[in-house]
Amino acid sequence: MTDGIKRRDFLKVLGVSGAGATLTACSTENVERLLPYVTMSEDIIPGVSTWYTTVCDGCAAQCGMWVRTREGRVVKVEGNPNHPVSQGALCSRGHATLQHLYNPDRYPGPMIREGDVLRQTTWEEAEALLAQRIQSAAGNALFIGGATGPSMARLVDAFVRAVGGRRVQYDALSDAPLREATRIAFGVDELPRYEISQARLLVSFGDDFLETGASPVEHGRAFARMSAADEHGSKGRFVFAGPRLSLTGLNADEWIPIRAGAEAALALGMAAAIAEDGAAAGPYASVVRAYDVRTAANAAGVSEDTVRQLAERFAEGPSLALGPGVGAHHRNATAANVAALILNFVAGNVGRTLHVGGGPNVATRPFSEMEAAIRSMAGGQVGVVMVHGANPAYSLPPSSGFAEAFGSVGFKVSFASAPDETSAMADLILPDRHFLEAWGDSMPRSGVMAIRQPAMQPVPHFDSKQTGDVVLSVASRLGHSLGGATFYEHLRGAHRAMHGSDPAFEAAWREALRSGVSGHDMGGASGPAQLRGPDAALTFDLPELDGDGDLTLLVHPSARFGAGEFANSPWMQELPDPVSKVMWHSWLEMNPRTAEARGIREGDVVTVESPHGSLEVPIRIYPGIREDSVALALGGGHTDFGRWANGNGVNAVTLLPAVSEQPSGAFVTVATTVTVTPTGQRRRTVTNEGSSDQHDRPIAPAVALAELGREPAGEEEAHGELKELQGVGGFVPVPAEGGEPTAFPLEGSRHGNYANAHEARARWGMAIDLDKCTGCSACVTACQAENNIPWVGEQQALMGREMQWMRIERYYEHVDAAEASHLDVRFLPMLCQHCSNAPCEPVCPVFATYHTPEGVNVQIYNRCVGTRYCANNCPYKVRTYNWYRYTDENVPEPMNWQWNPDVTVRTNGIMEKCSFCMQRIREAENRAVVERREDRIPRDGEIVPACQQSCPAEAIVFGNLRDPNSRVSQVVRNERTYRVLDEIINTQPAVNYLKKVTFHEVASGGHD
Amino acid sequence: MTKHWLIGGLAGVSALAGLAFVRAQDAQTRANAESPAAYAAGQPIAFPHNIHAGSEPGQSNMDCQYCHFSAERSVDAGLPPSELCMGCHQVIPGANNPQEVDKLKDYHARGESIPWVRIYKISDHAHFPHMRHIAAGLQCQQCHGEVQTMEVLSSRDPAWGGNNMGWCISCHRQEGASDDCAVCHY
Repeated sequence: MTDGIKRRDFLKVLGVSGAGATLTACSTENVERLLPYVTMSEDIIPGVSTWYTTVCDGCAAQCGMWVRTREGRVVKVEGNPNHPVSQGALCSRGHATLQHLYNPDRYPGPMIREGDVLRQTTWEEAEALLAQRIQSAAGNALFIGGATGPSMARLVDAFVRAVGGRRVQYDALSDAPLREATRIAFGVDELPRYEISQARLLVSFGDDFLETGASPVEHGRAFARMSAADEHGSKGRFVFAGPRLSLTGLNADEWIPIRAGAEAALALGMAAAIAEDGAAAGPYASVVRAYDVRTAANAAGVSEDTVRQLAERFAEGPSLALGPGVGAHHRNATAANVAALILNFVAGNVGRTLHVGGGPNVATRPFSEMEAAIRSMAGGQVGVVMVHGANPAYSLPPSSGFAEAFGSVGFKVSFASAPDETSAMADLILPDRHFLEAWGDSMPRSGVMAIRQPAMQPVPHFDSKQTGDVVLSVASRLGHSLGGATFYEHLRGAHRAMHGSDPAFEAAWREALRSGVSGHDMGGASGPAQLRGPDAALTFDLPELDGDGDLTLLVHPSARFGAGEFANSPWMQELPDPVSKVMWHSWLEMNPRTAEARGIREGDVVTVESPHGSLEVPIRIYPGIREDSVALALGGGHTDFGRWANGNGVNAVTLLPAVSEQPSGAFVTVATTVTVTPTGQRRRTVTNEGSSDQHDRPIAPAVALAELGREPAGEEEAHGELKELQGVGGFVPVPAEGGEPTAFPLEGSRHGNYANAHEARARWGMAIDLDKCTGCSACVTACQAENNIPWVGEQQALMGREMQWMRIERYYEHVDAAEASHLDVRFLPMLCQHCSNAPCEPVCPVFATYHTPEGVNVQIYNRCVGTRYCANNCPYKVRTYNWYRYTDENVPEPMNWQWNPDVTVRTNGIMEKCSFCMQRIREAENRAVVERREDRIPRDGEIVPACQQSCPAEAIVFGNLRDPNSRVSQVVRNERTYRVLDEIINTQPAVNYLKKVTFHEVASGGHD
Repeated sequence: MTKHWLIGGLAGVSALAGLAFVRAQDAQTRANAESPAAYAAGQPIAFPHNIHAGSEPGQSNMDCQYCHFSAERSVDAGLPPSELCMGCHQVIPGANNPQEVDKLKDYHARGESIPWVRIYKISDHAHFPHMRHIAAGLQCQQCHGEVQTMEVLSSRDPAWGGNNMGWCISCHRQEGASDDCAVCHY
């Protein structure tokens, strides 16, 4: 007003603009419609979730799933606790399969290529065309198929037999070397079954079993049970031998940074140390004798003592050695796996921690079959090629010649449900259904069978048809009957036949659908556990590498994208990589000393050049890689895969030769050396990592195993005078005792209107055991799926605006790539700590954040005005802010069909954070009242937040801290329990962490 | 200089305020202009709640939850599938307005959902679990008004508190239910 704006002027302005507004105002009829069912399924109660069982097809592990649907839409997937593979848990990629279902880039219907454009057509026309082309191909059909269920595989086999042609199975990632090694060593053509939880010393020779192995969830759970300290103070030890620490490697207690490809040498050296004269190795005695400890140590680049000591401990048993997995396929990978099997044999592990046969039934068809297929396509011997469940145009290097050979075939058919690099070349696209819309079966290992059933009607935006149905229909057009008019009939027929003439088939079928698992044994007996002599040439030496570059290139599958098939999921793109913490783009990992010697800094864009190709990628400095190696993850650099994948990152495969390993025929990923030259450009790394160093703060402390059970040397975590932050009074001293999270609210504290908090019977809290947590990040994606958390995109993430309510902190305490030594990396899932004495609460001017009487720090969205004071005052950085309408603008139809209807979808200007899955607390309360007429505190274990539900490691427990008998209270009563930063800033969190247990003495970062 | 900038800003703000005001006015005028019959015309079928749920002679005295079948076990009260309507209307032609029953039969025969206009709506950021309120012994009428006497439902009925938190809270306080924000907002 002092500027001279008079009240009168203001009113004039108001009057004018009011008139303007009148003109623009219109009477839109903004009515909302309610559409009831015409005929209602008995399964559906509006507002109540209906659950179905099915089987995940995110990777070859085939975890059993529970699918949550609301009013006919799938909104969440979870692990099926009845299923022996998933045991109730699910990985990040499993959750992200939901985004494939609602992927807006899916094909709208069957498409025919006309010149450069695709024209949508009808299924009738498309199938007639395919039938006609197969007929004119006259027996020269080729079917390239990825991993699929046994019934579908048999149907395709019958189909290609009937129409004349053959099927080639192709998986970008294949455990063929391990399978071939088991066949050579024991005569059983199956993967071995690991009993990881039974081992007390686990040695992984580069097997990334926690993220991309044959069965990450099952192995993750077994590993956590093996490696976590139990109540008797016993803990299994894990040693990782390999040139680079993968996520699996970061969980090791010791790292032996051997040269790339030296796994066989180390394993044989250990075997030699255990079985001095090698006699115990039977037919491999001469091999073992050839690799004495000194030879092995030299080859691997480690000291003799290291080999000898490890061998001694290994022989004590029970132990288990895991041969190189899909991330370490070099030219001698089969031999390396044989060496690991020999080591297990001489240490007496076969039949104890390792069973020959009965392992994960992952498809393990080698690349060599594909090589033959490429030759026949290029040679003009193929009339029609069909591709289902595979994307070889992306996952094979250009030098394989796939693209040219495929392009030369007269008629190319793709069954891809969404665009990929292979379907981009196809003449006819017959989009398959997503597995959540389709029937099928799965056999994760012999003796375990599960039916895949549709959990919802096909998403109506896409006119898709199950490939099994298409195959049956095309076959019948060509005059062949393959059993059943639909794949559903075919599937039931196959299972009825397996059941024999059992009249109880219907009941068994229903039970299989209900429980999500059935026990039809489809063969696959356990083989003899005696070593056999090799029937193929094996070289145990260091593998050849192409080129004369000075750095070895390690190409490994991505924990988020696999071999690239998850790259169009924005959840996966924005999930920080569990190792590097990078989102959205690709990076080249380089040891800090290597980088320093070359004057390369983090974020420098470098040219990586191999004899087979070159690409430009920014550097990520990583202490967990040998100085002579650099690493690049698969999965980036798509060109035709959808809006979130295209142009993000680089495709590591372009640097590789198209070589198959002998004798398994697997695709070789550690094949070449590279040169790395800076381009002079820089790129900021998109990451949510604040620091990889704790800076001596007690954020993720650890305790040595030897210290467990001893009285603490000093006093208990002593708080000074307890002070409570108050909105008006600043810090106010309160006479509180103990500072236990159960002591909520503090005596004498003022909590506004919520005086009845002292009478509340529940104090919701959580325990997270850091000795179990593997950093796999399944909880992060589970939380994102459950709580309608948007993704923000690369540019926003670069500004630190990512929205996940959970993040996994990863701190390097001791990582030494120069010599074998102990390894200390700490993972800490960070989420809202639900502080009793919460710094966020008093600074909120509108009381949008406060404590419920049951101790949950909540955020009331409709009250929030977006000052962001709370986020500024949060010492844990767990509050996220909607800078834009991410939930509208970033989420195209039908991706929004995935929203959880029980959780408010937030708009711009709103602060949000972990609510302890308040919707699940309320649901359990509602159930208790409605079903049992009980009082309001649900029973222990009835409330399971999404993160706990998903955790393969069983690290998270939620419950009522005020009930001394609840599981969370029992877990918290542990000498390892601490609360992050509590003793420094007195926040009194409700989230309790249990310190990681180490074998070595804890130096810094701990507070003992 | 500052002054012009300020006036510009104020003009913008007041334009928005004016727009909100005018739109509110507009809604009010429309509400006054609308007779119950006019509003009923907005519904695809003129469904008389009083004939079905009323207890006067000639009315059917049906329980609310016969049609709103999930109110006692779900957060949603549920709308009857047209199959349920047809269960009776197969044989009951509708004495007063048979042409409305014919509309129902047409929708059902076409297999089409009846696009009812929503009357009772609370904001997306508030959760109202029907079953908890029924379990607490509330009558439907306490929130929805005397629906069994109404031929035409209207969200302007004074008995329906509308999307108004004060109305919820006053009852919660009176009945000793929780007045914690996160009971409804999460």
